[in-house]
Amino acid sequence: MNILKQLLSGSNTAHTAKQRLRFVLIHDRAEIPPGLLELIKDDVIAAISARVPIDRDGVVVQFEQQNSESRVLVDVPLLALNGERKGAKRRP
Amino acid sequence: MESVVITITSGKGGVGKTTCAANIGSALGMLGKRVVLIDGDIGLRNLDIVMGLENRIVYDAVDFIEGRCRLKQALIRDKRAPELYLMPTAQTRDKSAINADQMVRLCDEMRGDFDYIIIDSPAGIEQGFHTCLAPANRCLVVTNPEVSSVRDADRVIGLIEAAEKGPAQLVINRIVAARVKRQEMLSTDDITEVLSTEIIGVVPEDENILIASNRGHPIVMNGKSPAALAFQDIARRITGEDIPLQPLRASGSILQRLFGRA
Repeated sequence: MNILKQLLSGSNTAHTAKQRLRFVLIHDRAEIPPGLLELIKDDVIAAISARVPIDRDGVVVQFEQQNSESRVLVDVPLLALNGERKGAKRRP
Repeated sequence: MESVVITITSGKGGVGKTTCAANIGSALGMLGKRVVLIDGDIGLRNLDIVMGLENRIVYDAVDFIEGRCRLKQALIRDKRAPELYLMPTAQTRDKSAINADQMVRLCDEMRGDFDYIIIDSPAGIEQGFHTCLAPANRCLVVTNPEVSSVRDADRVIGLIEAAEKGPAQLVINRIVAARVKRQEMLSTDDITEVLSTEIIGVVPEDENILIASNRGHPIVMNGKSPAALAFQDIARRITGEDIPLQPLRASGSILQRLFGRA
């Protein structure tokens, strides 16, 4: 009963396949293995946290390719000195 | 008309290169074109089996290149089309038996005698692939709607472009409309989007393919089955006819479709 299962779980493995393909092709084409980004992430965390407090778990390092341009996008959330995310709104 | 050399390749093995080569070549032959199919998979030849011509091999491409026979002796005529020939390769040699220059010369010997020279490349991206790529005027890359073969197709498309043999065109083989509809299989659009490569044909999964290969009768030769029609369309697109891609139809009975075994 694949159809029922599908309806109940809402699984869309074709979509998963496409996302995985996109990811792997970006890295294949640029000859940058995905593990390298993890190393860069560690370096970024070390470099920036030495100067300002950051939210280590919130750091995102992404590789992006558009047309013939490649770039590494780094997103580092800063923490205020009291340990809360800077600019984050207080929830009531 | 000067020959067009078409190399059929894929990177990944088992996606249907040889089936595509046999059927596209046969379909072109049945359109009245002069066609020769060259088996480029030295040491693992199979085009002869899929074509059903294995019993007629005396000499092969390596024999010709090494001077043991004349060109005509290495060509097997397939009488099921007006001018369709197979050039088999050696089964007991390895990929180094023919280098790129020799493959170019082999094709040059036949240019002028044929409208289409179709080379069935081995899987992989090593020497055998480069040998088959060397004489190409056009490249078809065969892929299945499945992550690993699309990834390998991307790699091969890149190599084809780097060798200035592009742009490659894509054959999506073994697609199952019902599974695409259930979103459990990559669609034609998904694959075009990810690879940004033109599609020359979409061949549906078809159980008649196995039967055809059991018999040594390429499916286009006696068929109105879904895959046969798809291969005929590809052949006509190769000749320059403008045939839009057909929307896929889920095959099988309503019950089969409902239970996912279409």
